[in-house]
Amino acid sequence: MLSTEALYLLYLTSGFTVGFGHCIGMCGPLVVSFSLNLKEKSIRAPQLLYHLGRITTYAILGGVVAASGSLTMVAAQMESIQKGVMIFTGVLIAFMGLAMAGWMPFGKVFGDHSGRRSFISNAFDRLLKVKSTMVYLPLGLLLGLLPCGPVYTALLGAARTGMEAPAIYQGVFAGMTLMIAFGLGTVPALFLVAKLADLGWLKSRDTIYRIGAVLMIIVGIIFIIKAIRF
Amino acid sequence: MHPSSNIFKILLLAVLLLILSSSGNAGDKYREMINCDLHQGACTRNLSGSTVTLAVTPRPVKAMQDLLFQVAFSAKLPPNTKLPYIDLGMPGMKMGPNRVQLKSAGNGTYEGRGVIVRCPSGRRTWRATITVPDFGQTDFIFDVIY
Repeated sequence: MLSTEALYLLYLTSGFTVGFGHCIGMCGPLVVSFSLNLKEKSIRAPQLLYHLGRITTYAILGGVVAASGSLTMVAAQMESIQKGVMIFTGVLIAFMGLAMAGWMPFGKVFGDHSGRRSFISNAFDRLLKVKSTMVYLPLGLLLGLLPCGPVYTALLGAARTGMEAPAIYQGVFAGMTLMIAFGLGTVPALFLVAKLADLGWLKSRDTIYRIGAVLMIIVGIIFIIKAIRF
Repeated sequence: MHPSSNIFKILLLAVLLLILSSSGNAGDKYREMINCDLHQGACTRNLSGSTVTLAVTPRPVKAMQDLLFQVAFSAKLPPNTKLPYIDLGMPGMKMGPNRVQLKSAGNGTYEGRGVIVRCPSGRRTWRATITVPDFGQTDFIFDVIY
């Protein structure tokens, strides 16, 4: 049995190695899309808020599985929500790409013939053109629910820790803090990927920017396909 | 700016994004490594001159389900050997530490409970590495149903 300090260190280092070995491939397109979508704005605050939201969701999930003592039970309840979040993510990335490329079809697809814009078109338009950096916090909270193998693995450990704790509140606390340690460990890899996509020359060249937009549309479609297969 | 420099940057961005988007979904090229069909029954592998048998129930073996891992050794483990354990992972993809600690069930058999998590990439090839501390380890590579 590992000491509490060793367990936190294990989760932190596990998050760090998994970040570079797994998250870059699976969630990298997401943070790259955010970076490209921000264009001339600094990515630092939006990325930090996104990660804060994501880690908060991990902590809540850690507390829930620790309280229940079973990942499989909680995961079964969350499956349809996760599928929905995955589809939303794919649609969001694809629309970000369409907006960046200037091919936004809202008027044609969602609008009506009288020229007024529909509720859906307005909602997406507001989301994509939102000026407030704060939107990345709820986005992180939501996208923290995306299905992810290493997060499930970390939650397994949180569930075990919860079962072994002498009192339920201690188990919940341990589950939450372990998941915070894991989430923090994943930040450097994703932040590095976002920073790479934030290079000045990348965003200042229209052709490159447009290619990035096309690839984002493709990534969005891949997310939707993965969600349907999930 | 020289046109070739722009082309290089375009290619770089294209490669970066394509790698990012496809790396989690590159097809399960690791399926050819499978050396065990745990859906059908127990599998046996060599371990430091003896054999070790792994069975996982309930069958077929599904992800995100509570599983019982049973391990039997053909030879008696050396005295004072620490308890064996199983590390679950995917070949070629880091999934975080997922260890099933085994306990003696008598007659040279050990068992423990664990969960194989689901990878949204769709890849289904998993590896169970059985380790007997200070004695040896062996890999079972198998398919999991999602």
